[in-house]
Amino acid sequence: MPINISNSKRRDAVVALEGLVPRRTVQYLDPHRRPVRTQRLLKTDITHDLTSLMKKRKTPASLANALIKEDPEIDIEEFGMFLMETSRVYVTKKGIVHLVEEQELLYNPDGTLREKRPRKKEPQNINTDIPLKWTGKFIKKNDAVQKFIFTNKKQLVHVNGLTFDFLFEMAKTLHKKDSFLLIRGGEKGDQPVIMNRGGKAYNAFLEGRVKGESYCLILHLSNMELKRPKEVDADAEE
Amino acid sequence: MPRALVLSLDGREFDVRITKIDREKLYGKVEIEAYDEKGNPAQLLVLAPDGKTLIDKGGTALANVDENGDSISRADLIAVDEDGEKIETVPSSFNETNVLKRSTVEDYVSQLVKSVYVIDALNDADRKYLHDHVSAGLIYNFDFSYRGGIEYDKAFVLGNKSDAFMVVGKPAELEFVKLNQAVDLDPTEEQEVSTEEISFENLT
Repeated sequence: MPINISNSKRRDAVVALEGLVPRRTVQYLDPHRRPVRTQRLLKTDITHDLTSLMKKRKTPASLANALIKEDPEIDIEEFGMFLMETSRVYVTKKGIVHLVEEQELLYNPDGTLREKRPRKKEPQNINTDIPLKWTGKFIKKNDAVQKFIFTNKKQLVHVNGLTFDFLFEMAKTLHKKDSFLLIRGGEKGDQPVIMNRGGKAYNAFLEGRVKGESYCLILHLSNMELKRPKEVDADAEE
Repeated sequence: MPRALVLSLDGREFDVRITKIDREKLYGKVEIEAYDEKGNPAQLLVLAPDGKTLIDKGGTALANVDENGDSISRADLIAVDEDGEKIETVPSSFNETNVLKRSTVEDYVSQLVKSVYVIDALNDADRKYLHDHVSAGLIYNFDFSYRGGIEYDKAFVLGNKSDAFMVVGKPAELEFVKLNQAVDLDPTEEQEVSTEEISFENLT
């Protein structure tokens, strides 16, 4: 994914933004010690869910009998189908619709409705004509980790010789300062970072590490503070 | 009654309860309602690759399959490490004492976060003891598994001015990228920013 980002001299460049995956140490094998993979399958569709099945029967008891005798909830031909590329669609009683009006319902932490408004689908701002801004606002790493949860992270990687230097200098500056740099989007450099249209907005912080002639630039994304919710349930739960 | 987790810090053992927190508990949530042109409610569903099968929540499942696409029972799977050696299962962290080891900020921020918990020690003296350590900026870690299983996650224990937290995740595959040469740059105007200036309430 390309990202257009500026440096402290307000020079900008388009470089690569790569997702990070967990370090994998475990693999799964079948009983013959051959590798296995995870596959998403169709378990059931809407024509076989409880609502649809009840439409054809008068009482739950008659449905229960049918479940035992006829297996109406199972489509032998379809269920178990590998789902490779799926899409998300809006559906009404008449079928798939392509034009919908979306409303956002904003709820408070206690579950009360705070606001209802037409859905705002903000465009992404990581790769536009306006580069993400090097704000010059630094936050010491120790302070940042006591304040924010970094819920997502990406790594910036050069795409050619020129951007080697561009990113290495950024990493070096940040490494020396032992700080995160606040990154902002938009013309005024006052907007959170949005990775894709209608996607989550994040406060973004750039961290740089340097090891010899190599660098590591990490974009930490946060949409959550490190703090106790006001009405947190004292019972432990996973 | 939820189970207590036993932590050991500098030789002192104490029981804590952990409570999962997330963005919804802090700031609330956003739900989307959709309507067609005539105002009829519309439901967001998944369309299968065949272009006709519509799937609601819970309509899909993950299966383990072999090279031929045949499903393999979870009970028949063999977990192996990078060297192909069979991995023994790990116990739930609730069944053992979890020794906290000192960690670094770099290790902490290198992990991909899966879940966050508030830590409450069961008595005030232990609560103060733990908080005195983490509020000073110290970070600890231990291997954590909620229910037991194939492998541990990494749990980091840290704090703010008022509470202690446990952040669970896995280390990310970070890569140091090599380059050919370095150039000196003149920095623009810099300033320290207070963490209080950054808003989280409006990230909806």
